[in-house]
Amino acid sequence: MDGSHLVAMRGIVKYFGDFVAIHDASIDIRPGEIHALVGENGAGKSTLMNLLYGLLPRTGGEILLRGRPVHFSSPAEAIASGIGMVHQHFKLAPSFTVAENIIVGSEPVKSFARLDLKAAEEQTAALSKRFGLDLDPRAVVSTLPVGLRQRVEILKALYRDAEVLILDEPTAVLTPQETHELFRTMRVLADSGRSVIFITHKLREVLAASDRISVMRQGRIVTTRDNDGVTAEQIASLMVGRSVLLRVNKVEAKPDPEPALIIRNLTVRSDRGATAVDGLSLQVRPREIVGLAGVQGNGQDELVESIAGLRRPVSGHIAICGVEPATADPRASRQAGLAYIPADRGRVGLSLQSAIWENMTLGHQNEFRRGPLLRAAAARLRTRELIRRFDVRGAREDTPAGALSGGNQQKVQLARELTRSAPLIIAEQPSQGVDIGAIESIHRMLVTMRDDGRAVFVVSADLDEIFSLCDRILVIYRGRIVGDFDSRTVDVEEVGRLMGGITDGHDGHHADGGTGLPNVAAEMRVGQ
Amino acid sequence: MTDVPLHRTASFSPIRFLRPLIGPVSAVVVAFVIGGLLVALLGQNPLTVYGLLLSGSLVGWANLSVTLQLTTPLIFTGLAVAMAFRAGIWNVGVEGQMLMGALAAGIAGYALPVPAPFHVPLCIVAAAIGGALWAAIPALLRVYLNVNELVICLMLNPTALLVTGYVATHPLKAPGPTNKLPDILDSARFTNYSIFSQLNTGIFVAVALCVAFAIFNRSTVRGFEWKLIGLNPRFAHYGGIRVRRDVLTIMMASGAVGGLAGAEQVLGVYGAFYDNFSPGYGFDGIAVAMLAGNHPLGVIVAAFLFGALNSGSSVLQMELGISKYLVQVLQFIVVLILAAKFSFAFLKRRSPDDRVPPASPVPQSGQSHVTET
Repeated sequence: MDGSHLVAMRGIVKYFGDFVAIHDASIDIRPGEIHALVGENGAGKSTLMNLLYGLLPRTGGEILLRGRPVHFSSPAEAIASGIGMVHQHFKLAPSFTVAENIIVGSEPVKSFARLDLKAAEEQTAALSKRFGLDLDPRAVVSTLPVGLRQRVEILKALYRDAEVLILDEPTAVLTPQETHELFRTMRVLADSGRSVIFITHKLREVLAASDRISVMRQGRIVTTRDNDGVTAEQIASLMVGRSVLLRVNKVEAKPDPEPALIIRNLTVRSDRGATAVDGLSLQVRPREIVGLAGVQGNGQDELVESIAGLRRPVSGHIAICGVEPATADPRASRQAGLAYIPADRGRVGLSLQSAIWENMTLGHQNEFRRGPLLRAAAARLRTRELIRRFDVRGAREDTPAGALSGGNQQKVQLARELTRSAPLIIAEQPSQGVDIGAIESIHRMLVTMRDDGRAVFVVSADLDEIFSLCDRILVIYRGRIVGDFDSRTVDVEEVGRLMGGITDGHDGHHADGGTGLPNVAAEMRVGQ
Repeated sequence: MTDVPLHRTASFSPIRFLRPLIGPVSAVVVAFVIGGLLVALLGQNPLTVYGLLLSGSLVGWANLSVTLQLTTPLIFTGLAVAMAFRAGIWNVGVEGQMLMGALAAGIAGYALPVPAPFHVPLCIVAAAIGGALWAAIPALLRVYLNVNELVICLMLNPTALLVTGYVATHPLKAPGPTNKLPDILDSARFTNYSIFSQLNTGIFVAVALCVAFAIFNRSTVRGFEWKLIGLNPRFAHYGGIRVRRDVLTIMMASGAVGGLAGAEQVLGVYGAFYDNFSPGYGFDGIAVAMLAGNHPLGVIVAAFLFGALNSGSSVLQMELGISKYLVQVLQFIVVLILAAKFSFAFLKRRSPDDRVPPASPVPQSGQSHVTET
């Protein structure tokens, strides 16, 4: 056996019923490497790794660990053999401390089977020191930001001596700064001889963080290559099987003078009562796309919820198309002319158990009203048209929205909101959890809307998206707008600095190695 | 939007229409199997027992009319519960709303001498108002103070029993040893259709209401909106549905239907309001609604099943000496199975959510049951 492979998966096949999820996939993982596994949503990345981790039984093929064939029938067996996995949804007990979460399942004990919490804390501290993962063992998990919770998960795997660490979409929940730190951690782990498998569909991150790249498409590994001279465009076209535009083609914006959205001195509190939006003012005009850039938690959610009528502001004015709608009344905001695509598709923007036609008909009831009756057949017919027009894949009008992938759910929301004749469109994280092909078409839709004379306000944590999509960029920091730029004349570093609250303009650092991620000092994360 | 759409061929499948029936039917089947084992343990032949249950409830007009009489209140209470449950509102207070409706109908029935054609409608309206007002208490508390309606409803059930009991034993008590209101006037009585039972016009009212609500749910804008409130109140609120107002409306409509169950008992069965007359029709309504999957037409079927079980059980007791509580055991097993399935689905829906830290900005495909107003 070739000794250079820590893990070798050969000819893996996985069926779900008649559906072939993994089709003869082979992948080798070398010790001490960061191996990116990329592909569109539904390409089979997570499934393949779940097979390795023992979460799912495989239909065919073999898995070799250090040259010996293994059969894991549960994650416990995989963990015992040195394979750890950090899922997209963390599996931590929020009310427990860091140390308690890390040791749970293999607790150090004193005499009489008493839990040795002190030893646990010491071990945790030693572990976090060894890998440079700064964590307070006694902190309660629920008080930690997402990036630190992820560290707890990683430490938990390391505590169990994981030699292969699988990270499933680890950056999906992270800010750019946290992402940066995660990459540093991944490198430390690789340098210690461990292997990191990094599942993602963000190309920049792949190029920035990995040693080797495997691309999956439709259940197959289409290529594995060194991260050397590869471009994002090459990987993207391998992922989707055709070439994609990574920048949006659009003509110069010619905004109308009269703003569709005016916010003046708006102050909003968060759920915890802190001032989240602090005397903020901004305007969005028809025929322009304005992007709101900022680290998560700087008041974006509260701002958007106030405009949408989902939260009552403390003070200030919101005018939509010249009308000040009643506060905390989504109906009033909509009637004033708002179409809102929320980031929280699962809980706010869609009813996952309801059929697509029902999801697409909310807000359009009056178009299908005959007296008190609903013309359901007409509503279904329209849904069928919209499914075609917005290219919602794998859907019929009676399919429950929850059965769709993230990108297609997003298209359902867009189809519903963009077909309302609303002059103001607010799109919150429009490409979050959406694969590349769909991001492209979503961005094109928003540009089309702009060219049709609508005002588009995009809130996104993804600077790539902000820069490629928006005409004007606003930067929010601690509930205030701290920057207002033409997107053609500002660079990523400048916006990144303002996002981190640095206003002197030069802090001496630059984003390293072309990651494009703003290099913001670690303490900025604490400020959010 | 120039992308080539992925075309899917539409295929008609009868399974889609039968799928909703799988759960309830299997629950009933399992209940009967377990019940059969119990009967066998008691030393009786399960087939004999079930045969007798069947013939004792369905064969012959005498038996059938008793079954129908016992079905009627369950249709009303089952529908009342189903209306609320469909919109995600936990109205488990139908028992109390029925008692209040019955009291209102009982008072209107004897105290208001109105010409015959108007007396029955008047009593029905009084009962509906009585039920709706009683339901307004938890509804208002929920809408304005965000108090869980389930707890309030449960507390208001015994309260209603005590309030109506007080009225029937003190201020308005009819002369004589029984704790009841005076008999209602003949002009307020429902027509009786059987010499063997108290089967009355109420059953037509009940069935008509179910049909009306089936149409309402399926074909009206309001029915569409109420369903969305039930499946995801935050989504409904976001989409401009007036969730607060609708929750209030739904709860009171549900209470009104619950009140009608009381009217049927007073105007059709007893001819007066009797203290503590209900054997728990309001609670059985919860089981009926669950078995019916909150579908109004399913309510008719489920109520008939429970009505038949209740009516057959007396025959069982007379002929074989088997306790009529066997039938209650069957009902409880049905409810347990349905509830287990329900909570399983509930947990499955919730669990992905719980793993996401609250600070996470990522939308997940979990569906939380948070109520939003």
